Amino acid sequence: MLKQRLIDALGADAVKTEPEDLAVYAFDAYSQGVVPAAVVLPANTREVAAAVKIAKDCGEPIVARGAGTGLCGGAAPARGGVVFSFARMNRVLEVDVRNRRARVQPGLINLDLSKHVAASGLFYAPDPSSQKVSTIGGNIGTNAGGPHCLSYGTTVNHILELEIVDENGDVTTTSVDDIGYDLTGLLVGSEGTLAIVCSAWVRLLRQPETVRVWLAAFDDINAASAAVTGIIGAGIIPTALEMLDRVMLPPIEAAFHAGYPTDAAAVLLIESAGFEDEMNLHENEIRRVMKENGATTWRAAKSQAERDALWAGRKGALGATGRLAPNYYIQDVVVPRTKLPQALKAVEDACAPQGIIAGNVFHAGDGNLHPLLLYDRGDPKQVAAVIEAGNEILKAAVDLGGTISGEHGIGSEKRDTLRRIFSTDDLATMSRVREVFDPRRSLNPEKIFPAGVGCAEVA
Amino acid sequence: MIASTLPDKIVPKSLDALRETLERCDREGLKVSVEGGKTLSGMGPVLPRADVALITTALSAILAHEYHDLTCSAQSGVRVAQLNAALGEHGQFIPIDVPLRKKATIGGSLAAGWPGPRRHMYGRARDFVIGSQVALADGTLANAGGMVVKNVSGYDMSKLYIGSFGTLAVFTQLNFKTLPLPKKRRAMIAPLPEATRARAIERIASLVVPPAAAFCVEGFGKNVDGADDIDGRVLLYFEGTEELLERATLDTRSALGKAGVPETTIVDTGAAESLDRTIDACIANKRGRSITYRLFGSPGTAQERAERMRDACNRHELFTDVLFDVMNGDVFVRASERDASHFGAKIEACHADLRELEPRCTIVACDSVARASFEAWGAVPPAIEKMRAMKARFDPHGTLNPGRFIGGI
Ligand SMILES: Cc1cc2nc3c(=O)[nH]c(=O)nc-3n(C[C@H](O)[C@H](O)[C@@H](O)COP(=O)(O)OP(=O)(O)OC[C@H]3O[C@@H](n4cnc5c(N)ncnc54)[C@H](O)[C@@H]3O)c2cc1C
Ligand SMILES: Cc1cc2nc3c(=O)[nH]c(=O)nc-3n(C[C@H](O)[C@H](O)[C@H](O)COP(=O)(O)OP(=O)(O)OC[C@H]3O[C@@H](n4cnc5c(N)ncnc54)[C@H](O)[C@@H]3O)c2cc1C
Repeated sequence: MLKQRLIDALGADAVKTEPEDLAVYAFDAYSQGVVPAAVVLPANTREVAAAVKIAKDCGEPIVARGAGTGLCGGAAPARGGVVFSFARMNRVLEVDVRNRRARVQPGLINLDLSKHVAASGLFYAPDPSSQKVSTIGGNIGTNAGGPHCLSYGTTVNHILELEIVDENGDVTTTSVDDIGYDLTGLLVGSEGTLAIVCSAWVRLLRQPETVRVWLAAFDDINAASAAVTGIIGAGIIPTALEMLDRVMLPPIEAAFHAGYPTDAAAVLLIESAGFEDEMNLHENEIRRVMKENGATTWRAAKSQAERDALWAGRKGALGATGRLAPNYYIQDVVVPRTKLPQALKAVEDACAPQGIIAGNVFHAGDGNLHPLLLYDRGDPKQVAAVIEAGNEILKAAVDLGGTISGEHGIGSEKRDTLRRIFSTDDLATMSRVREVFDPRRSLNPEKIFPAGVGCAEVA
Repeated sequence: MIASTLPDKIVPKSLDALRETLERCDREGLKVSVEGGKTLSGMGPVLPRADVALITTALSAILAHEYHDLTCSAQSGVRVAQLNAALGEHGQFIPIDVPLRKKATIGGSLAAGWPGPRRHMYGRARDFVIGSQVALADGTLANAGGMVVKNVSGYDMSKLYIGSFGTLAVFTQLNFKTLPLPKKRRAMIAPLPEATRARAIERIASLVVPPAAAFCVEGFGKNVDGADDIDGRVLLYFEGTEELLERATLDTRSALGKAGVPETTIVDTGAAESLDRTIDACIANKRGRSITYRLFGSPGTAQERAERMRDACNRHELFTDVLFDVMNGDVFVRASERDASHFGAKIEACHADLRELEPRCTIVACDSVARASFEAWGAVPPAIEKMRAMKARFDPHGTLNPGRFIGGI
């Protein structure tokens, strides 16, 4: 009945119900959930609304899905249901060059947007390392960040207006310029638990006049951390400030020939984008801070090709771990930037005793760590050790005054960890928002909220 | 039930006192008017009923300035100028542009959540809030976010409270990320005859080094810097390094020159104060005989919208002062009359016309008597039902600023 009604509404080629077609939709890049009863590929907002109504009638949960690159189980259905794939809603609908904004569909691939508007001298700033595959809808779902969010801000800072379908199948819009509550800001990062995004007006920025990229290498990772604090503390906010450590440099260099030294303890990749007039000043200040903190190598990329190579290594880092171990588990925590040395030590302390090798490639300027725990999924002992070490890292981040996710989200992975940073009252307050948008909890159930939160109140 | 003995004005000196007041009002069905510096009391409707004024100004502690991390935390009653002065000691600031900033509190500012003229450069006030603590209507404290600059741990509840005009919860504490202060500021002011205006604005909008704020102004007399003749004027505010400002000056002069703007005055000392005055003007009120509207929209249509609203006011023989934000598109129109006794009748007809022309224009400054009969906020947004449901869920007894916000929420 579900299947037939969906086919009647959307057409047979927009509905998948064969087990072999459905299996892949149980996964995201972090975990395996429950195989859905059906997958729909709506072509427009009207079809999304129609399919939501049918799912609701049939009592099926609804899970919105972008590219499935999420790293917290967000798009992996916890209870099966109907998965909404936006693979057919992947276009740029409108570009308003004068007012620097574009209206896009949720299935649009992040990088395709910047390519689309490049000829007008514009770009879309949020740049998750997954940008060649991840979608704007998924990025909105997780409030995705990326290396350049240090100065440009994360996805939420770039979303102007949303067209949404709610759990009843009703369509509405929210705008940051509406007088009223800022539902737009609230919806970004809500991981598909409040509404389904069907289109968005996003902010575009002007391409910078000049971009410079520098590499600084250190013999000691603490010196690199101190250099990060030194830059920020000196009142310089580069466009991007990323760190790669001893474990990660050799495999990345082998895979990408990015030009990274393979014998350094840590490398900082620094980008400054802006105006020619200020660049020498920035460069001198940044170099001074690097030298003062003991940088052994300082290099400026001399061409676009060299800049691209340095970035290709950073953005492809996760893929390069295949050279080190069959599997990796990537953590995502944030600490105040001055606490980087302690946080990196905590990662080491959590992993080394268990015999786990951890690499680090991360958004140092934001204090956003991404320890990569390398292991073999085939070995249950290693799996258990990785889980344990991951928990230790979360605990350490919270103890250092930080938080449990900077950009990947809570999903199913960190539901219970949320209690480490929020009180019962805090969570109950958050849950009120869920009750307003989705009282029956049919949108992406069993995500974000720890089991039990809000249920007592609803019942 | 014991009859209420609560005074009609309460200035809690501690978090506990604030919670207890709310808890009691909520229990006893008393309506609370939440107040910070009261600088925005001319915006929105007059509260239909308020039993207790809860004033936050004694919660005035700056709790932390982690200047190496570029973060800070303060209680909601701290004045905007006070916070920025403290941050300034370490060469930092938060870019919130508020009128009367010595009086305005950070709690009131974020509760208004008004996006300021420098937002195209720095982002909106909401983008700088990394964490908050609120007291809910029943006095429960709830925290959101934290003290780190990046955080996706659950819903970003601060976003919901920011811009909610104190109708969902009372801010008690706000955590911000800070920015390094710009090394130098410069204002450039030029006359802007109507004939050259469209061309000049087009060129300003496409300047390679954009101004941090830019306004086109007609009227406002001495409230705004520059000569107040019939031609109107443009005020540009630049921030950055010496080198950048030199280039911006050359580029701007040449761009304005090409658009037919004769001469440009440069103001270096006092540039920041000049911007303050322009911002103050946006809600400057003439006692009993003026009303100011704000209309959001895209920058590309700002001039046209401003002129349409101005012409409508002129048709009713009201004096009009007009100001629009070239970079972000906000339009401000103030209609006034010399004689307060004539104002009432004229403005009633004018208000109706303006609303027909621009259903979403909002009254931002007007004495309470004059605006009592007007719907202050303008047309409700498409998602109003969700907002109503949110108000009902967060404040089921209608304790906090009931009827203060759009659609009666
Ligand atoms: C041109 C212009 C630009 C502006 N730019 C910005 C900007 O960039 N950023 C920005 O944030 N603001 C900006 N503002 C507006 C600013 O938000 C207000 O003017 C603000 O400063 C009022 O502060 P106050 O303490 O006087 O608030 P009040 O006038 O006392 O209160 C304002 C509202 O907030 C409520 N309120 C007060 N305190 C609290 C509290 N602690 N908790 C909950 N609700 C409370 C009140 O009930 C009332 O509804 C701008 C205003 C103008 C005119
Ligand atoms: C190699 C690699 C590198 C990565 N680098 C980064 C990085 O630098 N920064 C970063 O932030 N993340 C990064 N990620 C994580 C991931 O790419 C992001 O979380 C991304 O935003 C997910 O997009 P997606 O299209 O794959 O969405 P999915 O994984 O399919 O979905 C993510 C969440 O969004 C919801 N969602 C999807 N579409 C919609 C919609 N239309 N309406 C409502 N909700 C919706 C889903 O329900 C789910 O909860 C990386 C992942 C990988 C594998």
